[in-house]
Amino acid sequence: MKLNELQLSALTEISNVGLGHAATALSTMMGKDIQIDVPNLDSVPISAVDRYFESPESEIVGVYLPFDGEVNGNLACLFDWPSAVNLWETLLGSAPETAADVDELYASVMLEVGNILTGNFLNAIADMTNLRMLATPPTVGVECAYTVVSTIICQAEYSDAIALAVETCLYSESHSITGYCMFIPDRPGLSLLLDRLGVADAA
Amino acid sequence: MVNMAEIHVLTGAGQLVGLGLGSCIGLAAYDGSKKIAGLAHIVLPEAFVDRAVTEPGKFADTALPELIRKMELAGASRASLKFAYCGGANVFKFGPGKTNDVLEVGRRNAEAVKAVLSKFSCRVVAHDVGGNSGRTMTFDVATGLIQVKVLSVGQEDLCTLS
Repeated sequence: MKLNELQLSALTEISNVGLGHAATALSTMMGKDIQIDVPNLDSVPISAVDRYFESPESEIVGVYLPFDGEVNGNLACLFDWPSAVNLWETLLGSAPETAADVDELYASVMLEVGNILTGNFLNAIADMTNLRMLATPPTVGVECAYTVVSTIICQAEYSDAIALAVETCLYSESHSITGYCMFIPDRPGLSLLLDRLGVADAA
Repeated sequence: MVNMAEIHVLTGAGQLVGLGLGSCIGLAAYDGSKKIAGLAHIVLPEAFVDRAVTEPGKFADTALPELIRKMELAGASRASLKFAYCGGANVFKFGPGKTNDVLEVGRRNAEAVKAVLSKFSCRVVAHDVGGNSGRTMTFDVATGLIQVKVLSVGQEDLCTLS
């Protein structure tokens, strides 16, 4: 599916609002001001690995969840390792030394962060489009960036070919925390979103 | 480095690397007498029935015949090919969603690779699949040595295809 400029800008706009809500919720949770970049829409998200992280082999923490309802798709929030450590220290008062030390407790903090971000993002988009989107229970993985992102793409493609990925950076004022969100609706879901936004294909 | 859905073949010397295999599978083939090595980075178990296959390396069922074709094109003899594969993990191991059916794609990939190798009567020397860890696969063309690196464990030898 090839998107025209109007469609891209409509999707960028709703993503921007959705992520704005998500960032505000995380700010409240953290007691820190969290900002977002204007989202970047991309249909080849694997290329993002190089752009986002120091190296494809650097360790990251990924929160991943499929969503369903009237629009199906996948959502993910990714944090590089120093950001994850800052999140743990702020919310829990301690952080694991290495990726191998991440246990259920540390993972549960990331699940909570992921819940806050994705829940607010989905609700905002659902309100704007009047389409029902329900998050399914989230899951957390700690691996090298290439592994996490490629696994998300595999899973998205397994359900249906990726139509679109919306990526953005969110960061705190001091840049002690940077994170990336991926919003990947499936093909029929994307068509429905475009339709509700009044920018459906003429065909 | 062999990226998602790619198939690379090298002769004589060098290294083929499948970086950070999560649910993906790295499938290696080797003709030891001619030192011809091939690696496919498989993403999904099978091609979509309703779509044309533009990237045969992406799907287990199309990647193996394409890998064999490329090996033969490079001069390998099909009868002397030996195979090894690894990957097919579920790296999202924490949280209430970890049992979600969608996350089973790694296991399905591993099953599909096993099935297609058996269908083509391929000689499989070693495999390392499943679990919750990503793997980086390094295949030395000159020796046929395959090593697997896991974040929490370090690098270990999988096998030598010769």
